[in-house]
Amino acid sequence: MATHAEHATSVSARALPPYPADYRTWKILAWTGPVFLAAVFGLWGLLARNMPPFPPSATPDEVKAHFLEFRLPLLVALSICVTMTALYMSWSVAVARVMERIEGPGGVLSKLEMMGGTITCAPVMVTLAIWLTAAHEVNYLTPGVMHMLYWMGWLLFDLAYFVTSLQIAAISIVFMRDKREKKLVPEPVIWWGWVTFASFFAVSAIPFVTTGPLAFNGVISFWIAFFTWFFWIPSLSYFIIKAVDRIKAEDKVAGRVNA
Amino acid sequence: MDGVWVFIGADSVIFAILFLTFMQDRLKNPALFEASRHTLNMNLGGLDTLILLSSSWSVALAIQALKRDLVDRVPRYLLGGVLTGLMFVVSKSIEYFQKFAHGLTPGTNPFYMWYFTLTGMHLAHVLLGTSLLTFLWIRSRRGAFSSVHRAVPESVASFWHLVDLLWIVLFPLLYLMKAV
Repeated sequence: MATHAEHATSVSARALPPYPADYRTWKILAWTGPVFLAAVFGLWGLLARNMPPFPPSATPDEVKAHFLEFRLPLLVALSICVTMTALYMSWSVAVARVMERIEGPGGVLSKLEMMGGTITCAPVMVTLAIWLTAAHEVNYLTPGVMHMLYWMGWLLFDLAYFVTSLQIAAISIVFMRDKREKKLVPEPVIWWGWVTFASFFAVSAIPFVTTGPLAFNGVISFWIAFFTWFFWIPSLSYFIIKAVDRIKAEDKVAGRVNA
Repeated sequence: MDGVWVFIGADSVIFAILFLTFMQDRLKNPALFEASRHTLNMNLGGLDTLILLSSSWSVALAIQALKRDLVDRVPRYLLGGVLTGLMFVVSKSIEYFQKFAHGLTPGTNPFYMWYFTLTGMHLAHVLLGTSLLTFLWIRSRRGAFSSVHRAVPESVASFWHLVDLLWIVLFPLLYLMKAV
């Protein structure tokens, strides 16, 4: 007697694309998510002194003094981090491919996830480049311009959050719809995605406040919003990496390993 | 729907962090927090507490009815939850309007920043909860739930009880507890 899970597998098997599945590359891409996180955490967070961020209430002179004091670590951290940000895109491709095994090839939410993950890279890269410019040119720029560049970076970095929110929502919806008896991504990780999704909304307040919980260095807009995301990326990555193996096993059983 | 407990647990932890940070900020400037606390409307705060307790009770009755397969009673109890949720929204809107009319905004001082942030986040939870209860009410009128199909109503009810619990902590924290 066929089980519900087997039925779901056979449905997705029929919907498989005709091109080969390269499981090894797929798995490598899935690993780029944790690597991206490690880079952001270590370089942007620790080396570039963004944990906690330099206060939004700082005066233009204080901002310039901060960039002067930490010019070298900022140059090193931000220049490497700009490059490493692309790994979020490659990770998103791996996640989308797993999602397609639930949603069907070319599924609209899988596409949304991949677009969301890719476009997330754009504001992050531009922000890092803005701060990198500020650090590079600190000796030639006025305190007012330094202050503007610092704030511009944060506004772009934070307020583009809804692109990532859509990515997270797409992922959460699709993995909730997984009919497997043992889901590819377990419910706690899916729901942590919703926590992350919800926690992002508060950062919309950052243009209006320079102190308190909603400021860009505040407990809500920084510590909660960023760390829910930082925790979500490796949790999801763990199950995406495992999902590649599980999908390969499913394909083997169905006689569909073609790579 | 076991994963919903992750959401509820994480939400509780996030609010616990916010409550602790509020207390920490209050320690830095107790006189300001105490003076600002006295400007809050205790009566409306108390009324809000009664409204949410009634709401939770009504939703608990709905789940109890569902468990006993008294499905005809479920919509009316859920409607009670929806209406009390809306009453809370109206009451909180009146309170905000009064504050704005007196020129009190999140930018007034750190206490008001916290007051509007904490009650605003809670209000967002109330709006979400009321929307979910409305969805359940509509579905229950069509007989979508029973004692064996109650995972979604129980999940929403658990969230609604959390919303109530958060207010039970928020009310004394903001309105009643002396800072000095």
